Amino acid sequence: MLLSLMIFIPLLGMIVVLLLPRESEELVKRVTLLFTLIPLALAVYLFITYDRSTAGTQFFHGPVPWIDAFNIQYHIGVDGLSVTLLLLTALLGPICVIASWRNIEKGIKAYMALFLLLETGMLGFFAALDLFLFYVFFELTLLPMYFLIGIWGGPRREYAAIKFFLYTLFGSVLMLVAMIAVYLNSNIVNGVAEGLRTFDIPTLITLAATQGHALADSDFQIWVFLGFFIGFAVKVPIFPFHTWLPDAHVEAPTAISVILAGILLKMGTYGLVRVNMAMFPQGLDHFTNGIGFWGNSLALLGFINIVYGSFCALAQTDFKKLVAYSSIGHMGFVILGLAARNDPGITGAILQMFNHGVISAMLFLLVGVLYDRAHHREINGFGGLGTRMPIYTGITTLAFMASLGLPGLSGFVGEALSLLGAYDKFKFLTILSTIGIVVGAAYFLWTLQRVFLGTLNPKYEALSEINGREILTLVPLAILTVLLGVWPNLAIDMFRESVTNLINVLHAI
Amino acid sequence: MVVPLISFILLCPLAAFAVFGILGLANKRFPRQDYLSTAAMLIALACSFLLLREVVPSPEAHTVDWLSLGNVTFSMGFYLDSVTVIMLIVVTLVSSLVHIFSMGYMHDDPRYPRFFAYLSLFSFSMLFLVVSDNLLGIYIGWELVGLCSYLLIGFWFEKDSAANACKKAFLTTRVGDVGMFIGMMMLFTKFQTLSLYGEDGIFTLAASQLTTGDMVWLSIAGVLIFCGAIGKSAQMPLHTWLPDAMEGPTPVSALIHAATMVAAGVYLTARMFPILTETSSLVIAYVGGITALVAATIAIVRFDIKRVLAYSTISQLGYMMLAIGAGSYVAGLFHLTTHAFFKALLFLGSGSVIHAFHAMHAHAHDDEKHDHEHADDEEYILGSEIPPDQDMRNMGGLRHKMPITFITMLIATLSISGVPFIFSGFWSKDKILAGVLGRAMEWNSIHHYILFVIALLAAGITAFYMFRLIFMTFFGEPRNQEMHEMAHESPLSMTVPLIVLALLSFPAVNTLWFNKDYVKPPQQSHLHAPTHAQLAPDTKTGGTGVALSLFGVSEAVAAEEDAGQGTQDVHGDDGHHGSAHTAHTIAMVLSIIVAGLGIFLSWLFYHRRALSAESVATTFRPVYNLFWHKYYFDEFYDGVLVALTVWKARLFARFDGSVVDGIVNGVGLVTRDILAAFVGFFDNRVVDGLVNRVAKITWAIGGRIRRIQTGAIQTYLFVVLVGIVLLILIFRVL
Repeated sequence: MLLSLMIFIPLLGMIVVLLLPRESEELVKRVTLLFTLIPLALAVYLFITYDRSTAGTQFFHGPVPWIDAFNIQYHIGVDGLSVTLLLLTALLGPICVIASWRNIEKGIKAYMALFLLLETGMLGFFAALDLFLFYVFFELTLLPMYFLIGIWGGPRREYAAIKFFLYTLFGSVLMLVAMIAVYLNSNIVNGVAEGLRTFDIPTLITLAATQGHALADSDFQIWVFLGFFIGFAVKVPIFPFHTWLPDAHVEAPTAISVILAGILLKMGTYGLVRVNMAMFPQGLDHFTNGIGFWGNSLALLGFINIVYGSFCALAQTDFKKLVAYSSIGHMGFVILGLAARNDPGITGAILQMFNHGVISAMLFLLVGVLYDRAHHREINGFGGLGTRMPIYTGITTLAFMASLGLPGLSGFVGEALSLLGAYDKFKFLTILSTIGIVVGAAYFLWTLQRVFLGTLNPKYEALSEINGREILTLVPLAILTVLLGVWPNLAIDMFRESVTNLINVLHAI
Repeated sequence: MVVPLISFILLCPLAAFAVFGILGLANKRFPRQDYLSTAAMLIALACSFLLLREVVPSPEAHTVDWLSLGNVTFSMGFYLDSVTVIMLIVVTLVSSLVHIFSMGYMHDDPRYPRFFAYLSLFSFSMLFLVVSDNLLGIYIGWELVGLCSYLLIGFWFEKDSAANACKKAFLTTRVGDVGMFIGMMMLFTKFQTLSLYGEDGIFTLAASQLTTGDMVWLSIAGVLIFCGAIGKSAQMPLHTWLPDAMEGPTPVSALIHAATMVAAGVYLTARMFPILTETSSLVIAYVGGITALVAATIAIVRFDIKRVLAYSTISQLGYMMLAIGAGSYVAGLFHLTTHAFFKALLFLGSGSVIHAFHAMHAHAHDDEKHDHEHADDEEYILGSEIPPDQDMRNMGGLRHKMPITFITMLIATLSISGVPFIFSGFWSKDKILAGVLGRAMEWNSIHHYILFVIALLAAGITAFYMFRLIFMTFFGEPRNQEMHEMAHESPLSMTVPLIVLALLSFPAVNTLWFNKDYVKPPQQSHLHAPTHAQLAPDTKTGGTGVALSLFGVSEAVAAEEDAGQGTQDVHGDDGHHGSAHTAHTIAMVLSIIVAGLGIFLSWLFYHRRALSAESVATTFRPVYNLFWHKYYFDEFYDGVLVALTVWKARLFARFDGSVVDGIVNGVGLVTRDILAAFVGFFDNRVVDGLVNRVAKITWAIGGRIRRIQTGAIQTYLFVVLVGIVLLILIFRVL
């Protein structure tokens, strides 16, 4: 019940916001902030009270019958991985509202309403335990995102929004097909249909591990795995499905970029863990057993993401595009870690999801701060800002260092664990992937130099220092970055049992 | 007491930095950061001395779980043996002195508080590195000192040269760090731990689990870990960042780029000593030896006082690496500590000189700019443009103007040059030479004979260029009268650290190193003498005579003299007494000769002027050019970087095609024939272009949605909401 409350409070907020008069903009913002703070409080409560000693899902609501014709149920619940990502989502909610406080000039009411709808979609996605519900929430994020980019975006917003929409839709269709295939096979044992078909994720996981069940057939698993994988790969994004990301980021307003990088990308990797890995271990095995091309394929995609993303980032001159490509590189570590299928690999991947959410959110907020002042993002157009904006420079340096994997900050832990895990199985690919570490340092330090070091560009002598509201959005994220860098167990405690459980499932085949 | 004391030592500088960070974020200025940071360092220093008593013969690691996975746990912890304590004292001592020196040197800098905060952060990171009992902890400290180095090299980031130098330093060392990380991954995959000590530590496991078949693997792992040290300790071929790092303020050069951080590589190599194999040891020894010689030759022709010292540092670090590679663990670490003191002293001394000229520099800045327009283009491009206050060609005759700086720097120079008996540098250098020669004789190894000759040559050259620096700076007639008149002795805050460091350049304070029972080299279970080695007979097994004791230099000297007279005593740290003994005598005599020769030649060239450096340079023009252009390393790297960029561009062009090709091929959905038709489409534009095409087709839909967007968004949202509600209700009814 608590979980349902958390998911639907933003939706309630949307209704309230829509009922408010168009003129009272301050009120709209405050109400939105309130309706994003409640889920945050609930997420914190969830985080504290979550029983870390078991792998099972907790805080159930349901299963309540929803669409009886297809045995679709309203069933939600969380395990450690979900709680971590719910907390991230709930945290970024109010931060994004505060970040949108001043720089959304038109239609603030609609913007806030859509944002609340988006939050419901994201929260629901991470908690859904019914495959159909999971899909509904997945699609629910698509619509508000489309409008948020398409209406409040930059000059090429419509192009970017449609590109984003079509790309994701293309992936969703394959996912839908795979989902229906799973549903249709969910009651076939040894070629004979018995009982009701189901969309229930925990049930499906058990069935997929049952000898003789249609879902446990390895060829079937490989195909279904692929269907879901492409759906999620578009979201992650995994090469070659990544080209929507830089465009969407460049056009989206700051807060939406934050959500895009912080949460939406994680929906892809979360899906991989929740569905692809847990439900189709044999399919996973086919792509990650380290034998032949297919056995290395997932790790190869991770490697390509890392190196390709990093080199692309190095070539960028648009600050925001650089951060976008760096995201592609960092998600590569997640893929590499998941492909390793071992303790350090999966833990590293999950940590990397959370930490990348925090760090990339910081990076996009920081880019936004600069854009609001200078009205452009051309890296070479700045220079010497370190003298003019020391606090801003300090926070940016922290975020850059966290992102390039400096030990002591959170980015390092996930990256290092992913690599440690991956090296066990994919020695060659992992060693090659470490190129990304050097290139990552190169593009961030080069950017740091071009924007902040050197003599002050006379054009920006009057640039104002980062203000209190902007610092407020960054400080919680900065604290998390340092805290999880120093004390990674704080996060790992949450999902250690879930990971162990997942590994057991993977090894049981 | 160990854990609380070490924790306290770490917390002091960290707290000093945190105060700055938090107040900085709140946009409040705290003008007395200098006192805070210095006090923190002094307390840490006092605690380090307290730790001396806590050293036990068989130390244990004190650990806590830091990162626990299902069945693997990474712990963090402290490991305290005699080497740790000595390193702690060296770091806190040099750091404290540099803090005090900076109060004078940096006083007028607009970012004065920030400077001290960075120093504090650095001290914390360095101390963390030193006390860590596991590779992960060392790596964390390792990268953090790299960050501090970056921040401090770029402290005056308005200067483009500083901005370039800090980036170069970070990236160059990161290349080495990646090697180190791969080495860590190898060790982790084998042993499922990154802890070094204890029952489940890498050292115990390596000794018990590895067989002769694993030696190649272990050698590779060892060399990869050493890559980190190559980067951080500026060994060839990753040494080019260190001279550029001199763009940072001089106290930083003294603390980070001479005494402590760059020595971390040596420390790491020494820590990894137990798993070094014959091959990896030899690689380390050669890298060290070649670096020592090459860097020394470059130092001969430099005119920037700080660059001379930078190349000298590289050379001396090479010396330490050579020692460890040749198995002289104690000698390498001993030289690390003596070098830390005398090199910090040399840098601070040069800082004192620069400070004396600084007012002048500011004054002459405008003129200088004009000069540069006419400056030799080549020199300008190479970045060898020397600030006038650091150019030794502007100095001369300063000994009367700055007597304290002169005398203290002279002591350090005598020490680094290896002037016998009364200077600490002699003892540590001698120990290294003796160790290398001892190994050569013991194993009858041609490699180690070559290395000995290299080391000896480097020692002679070191004496030469160091005295060149002294003669050019402090002797003779002032070369630039105007600047000379401005020069003055530095204030007390700067001279006192110089005096303290000068005292530390005498061997009396380094006695711990002479105590064989205090610092013991760990076992190297994987290091076996080559099969062809003819092991010298162990002439005195079970000899327990401790030649040199805690009581100081007089006994040490006496013992060495005893040794010279041929008594059978324990020497070196390898225990192969016969050869070690002969080696020691030969090494000592030869080292005194080359040092004397180097100083004498320097005197002839730069003081007596009986020989002309210029004419020698003209005669040996190609050699001189090689030295002057630093063996063309920078040119080579720029060339490689350009090549890499081209390679990257080509990679992009081919990437999409081949990868997409691979995916399509592998899926097994399409046959070869269909694939061939598809290849045409799936070039790199298709990944992007396909979407655009689809976008055009659906433009009509887009147009309609756009119309809905403008203005009627609330309506639309209600439609969505109603839709959701309807969906739920309809299906519920069904």
